[in-house]
Amino acid sequence: MEFKLEAHRIVSISLGKIYNSRVQRGGIKLHKNLLVSLVLRSARQVYLSDPCPGLYLAGSAGTPAPPTPQPGEPTAQPPAGWGEPPPPAPRAAWPDTEPQPERPAVPDAPRAVDPEPAAAVTGAGDAFRGREEDTAEAAWGRVDRPRVAAAVAVSDVSPEGASVGCPPTREEQPGASPAADCRCAPRPAEAEPSAPPALYPRKRGAAGAGGGHAGCPALCSTPLKKPRRDGGEEDGEEEMETGNVANLISIFGSSFSGLLRKSPGGGREEEEGEESGPEDAEPGQICCDKPVLRDINPWSTAIVAF
Amino acid sequence: MAGAGGGGCPAGSNDFQWCFSQVKGAVDEDVAEADIISTVEFNYSGDLLATGDKGGRVVIFQREQESKSRPHSRGEYNVYSTFQSHEPEFDYLKSLEIEEKINKIRWLPQQNAAHFLLSTNDKTIKLWKISERDKRAEGYNLKDEDGRLRDPFRITALRVPILKPMDLMVEASPRRIFANAHTYHINSISVNSDHETYLSADDLRINLWHLEITDRSFNIVDIKPANMEELTEVITAAEFHPHQCNVFVYSSSKGTIRLCDMRSSALCDRHSKFFEEPEDPSSRSFFSEIISSISDVKFSHSGRYMMTRDYLSVKVWDLNMESRPVETHQVHEYLRSKLCSLYENDCIFDKFECCWNGSDSAIMTGSYNNFFRMFDRNTRRDVTLEASRENSKPRASLKPRKVCTGGKRKKDEISVDSLDFNKKILHTAWHPMENIIAVAATNNLYIFQDKIN
Repeated sequence: MEFKLEAHRIVSISLGKIYNSRVQRGGIKLHKNLLVSLVLRSARQVYLSDPCPGLYLAGSAGTPAPPTPQPGEPTAQPPAGWGEPPPPAPRAAWPDTEPQPERPAVPDAPRAVDPEPAAAVTGAGDAFRGREEDTAEAAWGRVDRPRVAAAVAVSDVSPEGASVGCPPTREEQPGASPAADCRCAPRPAEAEPSAPPALYPRKRGAAGAGGGHAGCPALCSTPLKKPRRDGGEEDGEEEMETGNVANLISIFGSSFSGLLRKSPGGGREEEEGEESGPEDAEPGQICCDKPVLRDINPWSTAIVAF
Repeated sequence: MAGAGGGGCPAGSNDFQWCFSQVKGAVDEDVAEADIISTVEFNYSGDLLATGDKGGRVVIFQREQESKSRPHSRGEYNVYSTFQSHEPEFDYLKSLEIEEKINKIRWLPQQNAAHFLLSTNDKTIKLWKISERDKRAEGYNLKDEDGRLRDPFRITALRVPILKPMDLMVEASPRRIFANAHTYHINSISVNSDHETYLSADDLRINLWHLEITDRSFNIVDIKPANMEELTEVITAAEFHPHQCNVFVYSSSKGTIRLCDMRSSALCDRHSKFFEEPEDPSSRSFFSEIISSISDVKFSHSGRYMMTRDYLSVKVWDLNMESRPVETHQVHEYLRSKLCSLYENDCIFDKFECCWNGSDSAIMTGSYNNFFRMFDRNTRRDVTLEASRENSKPRASLKPRKVCTGGKRKKDEISVDSLDFNKKILHTAWHPMENIIAVAATNNLYIFQDKIN
């Protein structure tokens, strides 16, 4: 059990590093991010190999304080009872899609609706701008979230994410994550369709509707105001805090052998760059996509198009 | 532990007795980031010692000639030249800031009165010429002593300018700029034994340059996968063999070293030799991969061995044996149980360098708390020394330090938890012929010498 805790903590820390690496002077360092991604993978493996997948960290237990600074992110999202596997962190790889109010502070209210897929997408996207993160996020995204229960069932494509997945049942998490998670979940299946919907979450968020945004207007607004990238990242972190780690890890789960994509260290176009990473971000861009990215290529396309 | 056994002493009977010689740099507690030393390198004769810092500056120290009046005091190193080698740049196309930090300095063998060195940051390598000027021409016909032009029509007689001595001036001028050849961050440069070519290595590629040609370089190693998602390792260091101009090695983040022969093919993606030590499964942890990443690789002066540094140890390899190193020296094994904390505070990513002494009988590398370690390969003894201002009295002997790993702490020992992880010694250099070492501790450069017995 302590292995799971340790793994959880390490995943939090690692994601924080990836996030921070984007703002470091001199551009993203390929070597360091590769090493961090390896640690992430190891931690994920440990996490997943836990024989009791249901025993997620109790909300409080969750070290709600991942090293990454969530600037301004509402600390509001308490790790909230983890209950079941926490909803997948919506960190999808989409860095910059709108700063979805990932952390729907909203009590798990039945966000359950449909927009989940979209939400998932966006949420995930925001979570990590870093390329690496993206992949990770993407992976996470695959996990389903409570709300996405239905979606999950449907989109159970994610190789492993889904399996681990959070039982659609959980809804209560007052913690933010759920909402975010939802977004992530159905990702693989809905890659294409999700992309466009990705836009929705933001709007929903603003409106307070949509997955989980309702409860946290403040939250929602914050990401919206921030540059996409940043908002996403923070959200991602926030998710982590609230205990999405488990989901994230599940999402990460599958093919995670490659390196994180490196952000060109620039502006928004980075994201675009990332997405097109697989093609070849050679010129100066260090883009190593996590294998996860392969699964979310449709997303890439969508994002890029977007 | 007694002082490390001697290299360069007959029959190895003398132990080293390291004494403080000098310290360069500000005493200020508040260290400006730009002043942090990022590379240290002696030239081939050992008379010049170059340092590069995070601010892109290079400072060269020159050893004073020993004076007859004080035969026992070896020459001191004093500032010879200071210049700004690299400036911060911004790549607008990629929205990337390029740091001016000097990653490596490598001297060229001296061929005339001037000295040449290569310095590199993340993207650009520069060849600098450092020359002395101690004479000045006087008595020009067309201009005055203060430089004003004379009216030619007023000149009634001609004279031949003569050279007059002047105060020594050391000038550094950039002679070549090798740019735009690296997509990723340059981590190594190495001058070939042919003295005409050199290599530069970044995370995924190694390029071969000719010192005279700046607009072209040859790619000799490329490990970038077609699909970046499949990337699993990067190049961490590369060096040419000291005598065989066709041989070089490069180390990877997976703890492997590949030796390549440029005669075998133009692109050396396929190695000639592959050095890897099988991992010990019992010591596996989350961080096994990080700590096995090699941060430095150095050939011995003889060319028969090479040394690699990973996070916790230094290994000596015989080029003829690829299966495992011939020696493994633990630098700070007591950190193995602290890897998680070191991961959190990023210390686990620190890249320590290592170096050989002139006779290849001893090796040295840095650690935390301003400690550095020396291993005598003959006597198998090792010692931990500290670079600190407290031990900075002229010619004061350095006392061996000991880290207490558990249980009762003896007097003079320091416990692992008291170590200062902000004081790290990443860069050290050993004089090519004598027992003089230069140790960079953040923004200070310490020079220690072996006391003459």
